[in-house]
Amino acid sequence: MNILLALIPISLVLLGIAVAAFVWAVKRGQFDDMDTPALDILRDDPNDPRIPSHRAAPGPSGDAD
Amino acid sequence: MAELAIGEGHCFHCAEALPAQPVRVEVDGEPRAFCCDGCSAAAVWIREARLTDYYQLRREAADRVGTERADYAAWDREDVVADHARTLDDGSREITVLTDGMRCAACAWLIDKALRREAGIEDIVANAVTGRVRIRWQPQATPLSRPLSRMAALGYRPYLATGLVREEARRRERNRWILRMGIAGLGAMQAMMFAEALYLDTAGEMSPATRDFFRWITFLVATPVVFYSGWPFLEGMWRELRHRRLGMDTLIATSTLLALGASVIETVRHGVHVWYDAAVMFVFLLLAARMIEQGARKAASAQVDALARARPLLATRETGGDDEAGREQVLVSQLQPGDIVRVAPGEPVPSDGELLQAGAFDEALLTGESTPVPKRAGEPVFAGSLVIDVPARLRVTHTGAQTRLSELARLVDQAQAERPRMAQLADRIAHRFVVLLLVSALLVYVGWRIYDPARAFEVTLAVLVVSCPCALSLAIPSALAAAHGALSKIGVLGVREDALDRLAAVDTVVFDKTGTLTDGQPRINHVEVMQGLSQASAIDIAQALERDSRHPLARAFQAWPATRRLQASGVRQVPGQGIEGEIDGRRWKLGQAAFAAQGALDEGHALWLGDGERVHARFVLAERVREDAGSAVHALRDAGLAVELASGDGDAAVAAMARGLDIPRHAARQTPEDKLARVRALQAAGHRVAMIGDGINDAPVLAGADVSLAMGEGAALAQRAADFVVTGSRLVRIPQAIAIARRTRAVIRQNLGWATAYNLVALPLAATGHVTPWMAALGMALSSLLVTLNALRLTKVPTE
Repeated sequence: MNILLALIPISLVLLGIAVAAFVWAVKRGQFDDMDTPALDILRDDPNDPRIPSHRAAPGPSGDAD
Repeated sequence: MAELAIGEGHCFHCAEALPAQPVRVEVDGEPRAFCCDGCSAAAVWIREARLTDYYQLRREAADRVGTERADYAAWDREDVVADHARTLDDGSREITVLTDGMRCAACAWLIDKALRREAGIEDIVANAVTGRVRIRWQPQATPLSRPLSRMAALGYRPYLATGLVREEARRRERNRWILRMGIAGLGAMQAMMFAEALYLDTAGEMSPATRDFFRWITFLVATPVVFYSGWPFLEGMWRELRHRRLGMDTLIATSTLLALGASVIETVRHGVHVWYDAAVMFVFLLLAARMIEQGARKAASAQVDALARARPLLATRETGGDDEAGREQVLVSQLQPGDIVRVAPGEPVPSDGELLQAGAFDEALLTGESTPVPKRAGEPVFAGSLVIDVPARLRVTHTGAQTRLSELARLVDQAQAERPRMAQLADRIAHRFVVLLLVSALLVYVGWRIYDPARAFEVTLAVLVVSCPCALSLAIPSALAAAHGALSKIGVLGVREDALDRLAAVDTVVFDKTGTLTDGQPRINHVEVMQGLSQASAIDIAQALERDSRHPLARAFQAWPATRRLQASGVRQVPGQGIEGEIDGRRWKLGQAAFAAQGALDEGHALWLGDGERVHARFVLAERVREDAGSAVHALRDAGLAVELASGDGDAAVAAMARGLDIPRHAARQTPEDKLARVRALQAAGHRVAMIGDGINDAPVLAGADVSLAMGEGAALAQRAADFVVTGSRLVRIPQAIAIARRTRAVIRQNLGWATAYNLVALPLAATGHVTPWMAALGMALSSLLVTLNALRLTKVPTE
């Protein structure tokens, strides 16, 4: 049972780190927009040359991002 | 994700019906049709920017972009954005603006991607739920008007939000809720893991020291969850106790404090069982339920916010002289009664005033009807109405809170405050339950003191834990959260807290006509020709005259299929009367009867075509009934509801519509007072009435009905008076919303019934000392789980 004396403090420290990371994320505005990042994943990379439709398409007017 | 299907004959960008000559542009190799140059320009820009994924991602059609280009140069003036923008340390500035076209996450995504391409933009946060966009930009690199014009060109018109201080407070409040939620989640997870160790010790082999060590560690993790994350409930209980009214918050706070307190007592006296895990679980679940429910309501009020703020920032004031030098741009708030103000066509009137020259005004914001109202010099015009045709000059009479618009807003608020509030079911039950629980616990304690003093404390604790009102306090919030989620998925946003309960109870539905059952856009019903003119040429002449007009009625002609394209020359708008021009050497006049021909009598809703002497044609106007009006009425009647129609229009039009839609009871020429009286009469006869309307003339009756739904396209003031806002244009959502409300009521009743039955069985067993602590914990957890799962059934959205 002595292992508990090590494991429980470790779990508490990990919990503390998780809470601190969460507070940091909220303060930095990571949760201000919960909708659009989910859509980014669904979208193909417009500059990916492996997708044929993008190779043929003309370049965007002026700016490159 | 299902792609939004745009039918044939509808605009590719905004899904509105196409006019006779749509704009055709190729997008991604496929020919697409658009309703206007604005929509096609937006689609072309989206393609050039390689953001066409927007069309795959979106679930709602965009707003019509239109061809009017607003000028956002005013936003570059420091005095305009003074209370709204702040300067950050690195010299960049930040502003939060409201916008009205954000319907779904894809809109927020598009705004985010589009604005990031603009030079000088450092950060964009677009939130479709709150309708707000936060823009951080470098003032040296770009004026604010550039990104705002880009937004407007995509169909998202920006408006000033509530101001820096209130926006900041709003954001902090939101962040605090997220923090509470996250800490409850993390803490609950950890506390349950420790509790797991205690549960798994079924044989009781753990040494008392280890067991107590685990208990104290769990206490350490659970306490911040109960007191920090659960603070809103504790605060709510304090508020309810101060008002001597035991409600839902008291019930929730009592159950969490009870679980925590009982566990601490058991820990201290080395008892058999602790319930820390139960305490943190309830805080987490209830917090989640409350956040979902509030989220849905916040989305609704953001929608209303954006529309109510459609007012100009600047006004053009005359300072003497008739030329450009004699005018200045001032903030609307700086206008004084007596000032002379000029308003350009298409712009809203900044304050109430007296008209100095004849003109026509679109008073849709006030009345919900987009037919322009002609006005003569000396007549009053109201803030919020749009100027049509020619520039208007007016003398300011009332500003700010004294305008008719503000007055109406106050009237609506007043009517709402006076509406008898139905005592909330949840609070009533909570009140009884808390009292009953405390009384029975006291009786049990006294009884056991007399019978067996040694076990008195233990049994009382078991009674309190087993009857822990957790299932009861979850029963209603979880159902409400699931129902609000389902409602917002079908585009019905609940604005008020207790509206769902009232919606479930209605038995009569009263519809307004214009803008509710119809889409409010004028349409040519039929053409009567005279003097030997053929019907086709009458339409050709009218189309040629109206081709470049921005008058709302002109769209009725533009939508009509053309046979021959005629050219009109010398076209001239006569404000408030009509339009005239020369076609093939003949002079034609189109407009009001007296304008088009001498001695013609104005009757009905019609436009007249003449040469100034005699009438040649008469265009009878009608409105287009919404596509799904018939099926919505049918669905309502199938659901056992009585349907009525009340309209301000004439007998013939109302009767025809009622016949067409199979509505047995209808009333024509109804003033707002008449409509309210009708609703009151129905209420007096014992009916529960739902009113569905769109205009400000409906606002009193919307506020007076038992429950009211406003169409999202209608007047902002009507939406403020309503309990629900129906976004988009589908009427079928109304019977669906009523179905959801009824199912919600059924689920709440089942949940309450279960919680009551459970307590009826468990309480006597515990009071007689037959319930062991682990049985109490298991019963509590299982009944809560059952109640939550039952509520989750409501998230299923009805299919059409």
